[in-house]
Amino acid sequence: MIRLFSHLQSSVGKKMGLAMTGLGLVVFVVFHMLGNLQLFEGPHALNGYAAFLRDMPIVLWGVRIGLLSMAAVHIGLALQLSMRNRRARPVEYTIHRYRRASIASRTMAISGMALLLFVGFHLLHLTAGVIDPGFADRRDPEGYRDVYGKVVHAFQNPFMVVLYLAGQLGLGLHLSHAIASSVQTMGFEHAALNRLLKAFGPMIGLIVVLGNVAIILAVFLGIVR
Amino acid sequence: MKFTLNIWRQNGPHERGRFITYEAQDVSPGMSFLEMLDGVNQRLLCNGEEPVAFEQDCREGICGSCSLVINGIPHGPDQGITTCQLYMRRFSDGASITIEPWRAKAFPILKDLVVDRSALDRIMQAGGYISVNTGGAVDGNVILIGKDQAETAMDAASCIGCGACVAACKNASAMLYVAAKVSHLATLPQGRPERACRVSAMLEAMDREGFGSCGNQYECEAVCPKNISTRFIANLNHEYLRAGIVESGLPSEPESPHAESS
Repeated sequence: MIRLFSHLQSSVGKKMGLAMTGLGLVVFVVFHMLGNLQLFEGPHALNGYAAFLRDMPIVLWGVRIGLLSMAAVHIGLALQLSMRNRRARPVEYTIHRYRRASIASRTMAISGMALLLFVGFHLLHLTAGVIDPGFADRRDPEGYRDVYGKVVHAFQNPFMVVLYLAGQLGLGLHLSHAIASSVQTMGFEHAALNRLLKAFGPMIGLIVVLGNVAIILAVFLGIVR
Repeated sequence: MKFTLNIWRQNGPHERGRFITYEAQDVSPGMSFLEMLDGVNQRLLCNGEEPVAFEQDCREGICGSCSLVINGIPHGPDQGITTCQLYMRRFSDGASITIEPWRAKAFPILKDLVVDRSALDRIMQAGGYISVNTGGAVDGNVILIGKDQAETAMDAASCIGCGACVAACKNASAMLYVAAKVSHLATLPQGRPERACRVSAMLEAMDREGFGSCGNQYECEAVCPKNISTRFIANLNHEYLRAGIVESGLPSEPESPHAESS
């Protein structure tokens, strides 16, 4: 165990921490998207689902605290690693040409920071109801919190639509490099699975983004009202 | 052929460097990049100027000495070759070519285009020994090794330690180098007994030397003159995780290879 502990302090150990917390957050965004797709089943389904989550305060807060601490560890390790990486090349090249690096892999820091800002805004907006307090405590006819109404109200506003679509762009960009990269960092490698694993990451990212974008656009275009 | 060269000139490790422009004239398309530089240096010597310092040795792509970043790409625009195997016919006549040294904190510039790559040697030393019985040389095929396994080990062992992976990496990380060395020995039965100690010690040494961490951009694979695959980096990560969990009871540092028992 002593060696495992010292391994976590090394650059590869920190990368593994970054990969594990990142994958944990990926699992969350997948389920978050799937849960929200219940919007298409109407107010009863979505508000019932929200009430179902709120009926289990221990689980809900356990997951929330877990997610927040995973995000905190993820950001902390990313900062440590990128500071170390910056120190590793004090003098930059005059000309530097990339040969293989994808746009997503080159913009991980920027897309990560954009995501952090977006998630902060999203929590204040739709979770805490600070930004748009009108809908925070409104009830639907069945007595549930009117999450459905809140979402529909939010995405009828073109400003919010642009902001959330930009957030989804950041999410998609981040995930398209992150998932395959995490799998590599955790040391999974197999000749036959390699191609599958490389396609796997961008595919999950794309599915999550498409699911979320469908919700935003369905409301904005008046398909769901 | 004629070329305009922007070459990084720096007198010593602690001096300030800058680009100086030289003209390369009467270059034959069949000349290698280093022969072209020899011509430039000859002219500089004739004019009583200091020639451009660059590293070279075998000039056949196996020693790993030549180390130039040519127009922003280590070892130049072609894949799977070293700078000495790059020919001038690859460039269009009259082109402007920018030549820089490897740039990394762990590779301090000694002079002009020559960098000190002994950090890679120190990582190698940290890896330590493999268990070999003393006495007469062992007969071939005493330890049977599968063809696939032997080929994988050879793919990793073809690393010549030129440091292009470090030069190409956004983070100046030596992961591909360490991955090749670790995977080479971890794939073979002869390297198995010390595999946990080796991977831990080599990665510790890599961090100590000030290399960055892997960003999984695979730029290293694109410039590697020996086309070493980044799947060895996954293998390195796997070995490291295994060493941390499965064999965590063993000491992290191997004994010094030169320590005599008293």
